[in-house]
Amino acid sequence: MLRVIVSKVESMKKYYLIVRNTWDEMLTYRASFIMWRVRNTIQLLTIYFLWLVVLPPGKSLLGYSQPLMLTYILGTSLMDSIVLSSRTYIIGEEINNGNLMNFLLRPVNYFLYWFAKDIGDKAMNVCFSIVELTLIFIILKPPFFIQTSPFYILFFIFSAILSLFIYFFINFLLGLIGFWSPEVWAPRFIFITLLGFFAGSLFPLDILPKTIFEIMKFLPFTYLLYFPLKIYLGQLNFPQILSGLAISFFWVFAIYFLVKIIWQKGLKSYTAYGR
Amino acid sequence: MGDKINLTRYIKLWWMMTVMVSQNSFVSRFGAVLFFLGKLIRFVFFLFFLLIIVSRTQAIIGYTLWQIILFYITFNFIDSLAQFFLREVYRFRSYVVSGNFDYFLTKPMPVLFRLLFGGSDVLDIPIILLSTGFIVVTLSKIGNISVSEIFIYLALLLNGFLIALAFHIFVLSIGILTSEVDNTLWLFRDLTQMGRFPIDIYQNPLRSVITFIIPVGIMITFPAKAAMGLLSAQSIIFAFVIGISFLFISYKFWNFSLKRYSSASS
Repeated sequence: MLRVIVSKVESMKKYYLIVRNTWDEMLTYRASFIMWRVRNTIQLLTIYFLWLVVLPPGKSLLGYSQPLMLTYILGTSLMDSIVLSSRTYIIGEEINNGNLMNFLLRPVNYFLYWFAKDIGDKAMNVCFSIVELTLIFIILKPPFFIQTSPFYILFFIFSAILSLFIYFFINFLLGLIGFWSPEVWAPRFIFITLLGFFAGSLFPLDILPKTIFEIMKFLPFTYLLYFPLKIYLGQLNFPQILSGLAISFFWVFAIYFLVKIIWQKGLKSYTAYGR
Repeated sequence: MGDKINLTRYIKLWWMMTVMVSQNSFVSRFGAVLFFLGKLIRFVFFLFFLLIIVSRTQAIIGYTLWQIILFYITFNFIDSLAQFFLREVYRFRSYVVSGNFDYFLTKPMPVLFRLLFGGSDVLDIPIILLSTGFIVVTLSKIGNISVSEIFIYLALLLNGFLIALAFHIFVLSIGILTSEVDNTLWLFRDLTQMGRFPIDIYQNPLRSVITFIIPVGIMITFPAKAAMGLLSAQSIIFAFVIGISFLFISYKFWNFSLKRYSSASS
């Protein structure tokens, strides 16, 4: 029994090394990464200032006061780093240029390999996001809502973890297009465009007309940024949280199984063209 | 007369290069359709986002829905125009790194012209046409706009494009000195995206930065404000001075960088 555990721990060590390698890789190209973060901050500030003037102090919009709205918008920055930072966009290219073969021959689980890379990427992005938000707090002194209830904080963390998996599997799924088409960037471009709107990084989704929002409740995008932040703000009751988590669970497993099926089908048609 | 012949020759060259690059764009028709769809979705969704905000709040810092749309459409028009004409700049790094840039230098064509206009992206044409249509509709919806204001609006649009052109020349020059192109270019695009809204929404010193240092405000907010009759004569003159100065300085910087090109990659 002990031997099995030791061997499991040993095998997980390599994934830890992948996390560390990804971290080091990002530090190697730090100028590029810092520029990426500067760009993120500019995008965040654009939306922040928009909402600052749209919702002056004392005014509210569909249950959002200025502090709640600005907390939501600033929160999207941190959530973006936790959920949407990913390296899996390279998978399609790896399949197209035949590099996937290198992984198939190694004693590495391809899913865990990319998940470990994602963790390294997310860790670095989260660190930078915290620094950026701290600077924004020092310079702009925005009104901010701090959630103190452990109930909401716990569910927020849990929901953020589920969103992380949803996004990982969706991204992986998009990469698998590479098995059948060299055109891996165009579908991703559409996905990113849809994500920018439907995940709720510009505004909380419940300010949309009711019919549209009711439909969106069943889409996975809603559970990437909007739902965890809505829990953090304490604007959902327990049944609403449970139903949201149930839908999140459904998407995690549905997309996971879809990825598994398509991965198997893709491997059967894979010719390692390009190697 | 000589200048006229030169201009015709450049237009012919541009046309030939565009036709060739366009054939490339349509090698994968599926990809081309998806890219166009993506751009269309982005355009429509952002418009919808503005509609939602203004419908919920009635106005943003005093601007009505159509005025806010004019700011956005003006941004979209200049942005799409710059992407259409200047797409080749996005490929510059690979030319420097691979040594292909040397090959361009030996060609009997001004290298700056080749690098700026050598890869026009036809996939942007539908968005340019859509923006143009929206500008006409928006201006008519705002109403009470005189012919002179429309003329100034068009002139400032051209000025906005010149500023975008100047920035792309800056990016190329930095690319020669440092091999860094992509990040600078995307940084510029993110900054211009701030112009989707009137720059009045930003607080200082950010507002000053995007007015004077990276004149997004002059590129996008000024033309829209001029159309609404909200821009003073001094500001209009100032906008043209900035536009021409930026172009002049960027051209000087380009010459400076080109002289320091070491051809290390080839």
